[in-house]
Amino acid sequence: MTEVFNGQEEKDVFLRAYSSMILSRMFDKKIVTAQRQGRVGFYTPTIGQEATQVGVSMALNPDDLVYEYYRDVPFMIHRGVPVEVLLDQIMGNSEDSAKGRQMPSHYNAKDHNFMSVQSPVATNLPLAVGAAYAIKHRKENRVVVTTFGDGSTSTPDFHAAMNLASVYDLPVIFLCENNQWAISLPVEKQTKVEIWKKAEAYGAYGVKVDGNDFLETFKVAKDAVDRARSGKGPVLIEAISYRIGPHSTSDDPSKYRAEGITEGSEQDPIVIAEKRLKDLGYITDEIIDRMKSEAKRIVDQKFDEREKIPPPKPETMYDDVYKEMTWMVKEEKGEAL
Amino acid sequence: MVQAINSTLDYALSKNNDVVLLGEDIGRDGGVFRVTEGLQAKYGSDRVIDTPLVELGIVGMSIGMALNGMKPIPEIQFQDFIFTAFDQLVNQAAKLRYRSGGQFNVPMILRTPYGGGIKGGLYHSQSGEAYFAHTAGLTVISPSNPYDAKGLFMSALEYEDPIIFLEPKKLYRSVKMDVPDEEYKVPIGKASIVREGNDLTIVTYGSMVPVVSAAIEKNKVDAEIIDLRTIMPYDGSTILQSVKKTGRVMIVHEAPRTLGMGAEISAFLAERAIDYLMGPILRVTGPDTPFPYRLEDYYLPNERKIMKAVGKLKEFR
Repeated sequence: MTEVFNGQEEKDVFLRAYSSMILSRMFDKKIVTAQRQGRVGFYTPTIGQEATQVGVSMALNPDDLVYEYYRDVPFMIHRGVPVEVLLDQIMGNSEDSAKGRQMPSHYNAKDHNFMSVQSPVATNLPLAVGAAYAIKHRKENRVVVTTFGDGSTSTPDFHAAMNLASVYDLPVIFLCENNQWAISLPVEKQTKVEIWKKAEAYGAYGVKVDGNDFLETFKVAKDAVDRARSGKGPVLIEAISYRIGPHSTSDDPSKYRAEGITEGSEQDPIVIAEKRLKDLGYITDEIIDRMKSEAKRIVDQKFDEREKIPPPKPETMYDDVYKEMTWMVKEEKGEAL
Repeated sequence: MVQAINSTLDYALSKNNDVVLLGEDIGRDGGVFRVTEGLQAKYGSDRVIDTPLVELGIVGMSIGMALNGMKPIPEIQFQDFIFTAFDQLVNQAAKLRYRSGGQFNVPMILRTPYGGGIKGGLYHSQSGEAYFAHTAGLTVISPSNPYDAKGLFMSALEYEDPIIFLEPKKLYRSVKMDVPDEEYKVPIGKASIVREGNDLTIVTYGSMVPVVSAAIEKNKVDAEIIDLRTIMPYDGSTILQSVKKTGRVMIVHEAPRTLGMGAEISAFLAERAIDYLMGPILRVTGPDTPFPYRLEDYYLPNERKIMKAVGKLKEFR
């Protein structure tokens, strides 16, 4: 089907992709529910963007770098980031590698070659360009993927990063996860042109893909990654999907938009994936049901387990500002404790 | 000072292949102040990189390099132009160590000329050190002479957090001194006592150090002059020790008075040395206005303003 894998290998790869999408969806539903129950403070749901992220992830090597934003749970899950790591961050507990310092959805997974997540949108893009410069400088065979939403394409950072990556012919894949909405602003109010077309203005290669279809996304991403890896410069992928949920648990989309794609409808990326895999004869309804209940069981179990972990100790607040604590911070720490 | 910084950059490039310089007009042109003269010819355009005109891109790209094992030394042509990159400095460079629990760090040295003295008007004269010093995670340095410029830069090369290296452009060519060829370091976070004295303490840094020194020598004042060298984290203990000895203190800087470094040092001393002070803590600074072109000489602290404050402090016994 894709001419990338053969026989059993293809089946395994596709089923693993589907499994990541299911686990992400169950994770998402769990956290949203837990937020409503007061067990989690905040969350930026990923529902609707699973196929985009898993499709691109499938095209990468483990040592490729990802400079992601705050809505990339499926991407992280598919690259093997344990659910525990995500839960510890969301809960801000003492097992969180960033010691509970950031609000939920701002993950750290350095050992899976993800960058630490920031809030200010698109500020990760210039960093990805610098990372790619370092890769080229050392003549490594790696690429950098940086992710962002449609809103980010209006920022000066997007422009700066696209231009710099093109000027220096760097191996960067700019993945615009166009979910149609930047909080309450629809994409047609964000920009007058299709996002992928902006690539041409920088001398980069631009391409649009149905981001609700993981196989289509995978094929386009594979081509983009091959291009970048072979030294042909940056690629801008516009993956069209839909933010089925709110921007975050703090907003109510009914205030600013009519209902678009809904969960379980024909355009739901998971429904599309199931249809694709059934057509290929890789999956049955029975397997689907089993995988879903298994994913739900894992998420429920891990959530209960991680919820028992205590918060970080207050004195950890003063660490990691600089390599060596300044006398000011030492003094402030002394006063507080 | 231009020569001292140039030779230190040359040294850094020669010692470590992962050191790169990047900025506007720094390569072919050697920089608008000629600080990077000759370095692109020697190390190539991949390591002494002429960038497009985009400060936030220069800084953001440098952060990405620093996160991946390189030692980037970006130049912002004038500190006045840094503000589009402020988001990158405050929200990325300064916070990466903290937000990753120490997994990531940003060993970048951002060089930029700052301050007045060249008739640059509003946009080629600003002293923005307080903006940077107010951001947890940034280290702010400003040398006042060629010897310290080299020594501080040598320390910066081994430092593992982001540094804003503010070069007083007025001193680029106006101060000459012999700088040793061998390697030496001036420690970050340590002030120097430029001149010992007993009657009062003057805390200053950057381009104001020679101005203060000249005024004090000429008028034969028994003042102790402290050159901070590192603005953040500043050397509180050296200031405190001196003020306990002299009982009188003033702070001199070019930047506007309100909420400048003088305000911070005043608060620091008010908290810890009030029992030792014979008079008020005075500030001789630029006024709270933008930096004027034609009236630059009226804007900047000078001998007259410094001596007026000295006279006022001496009234307290």
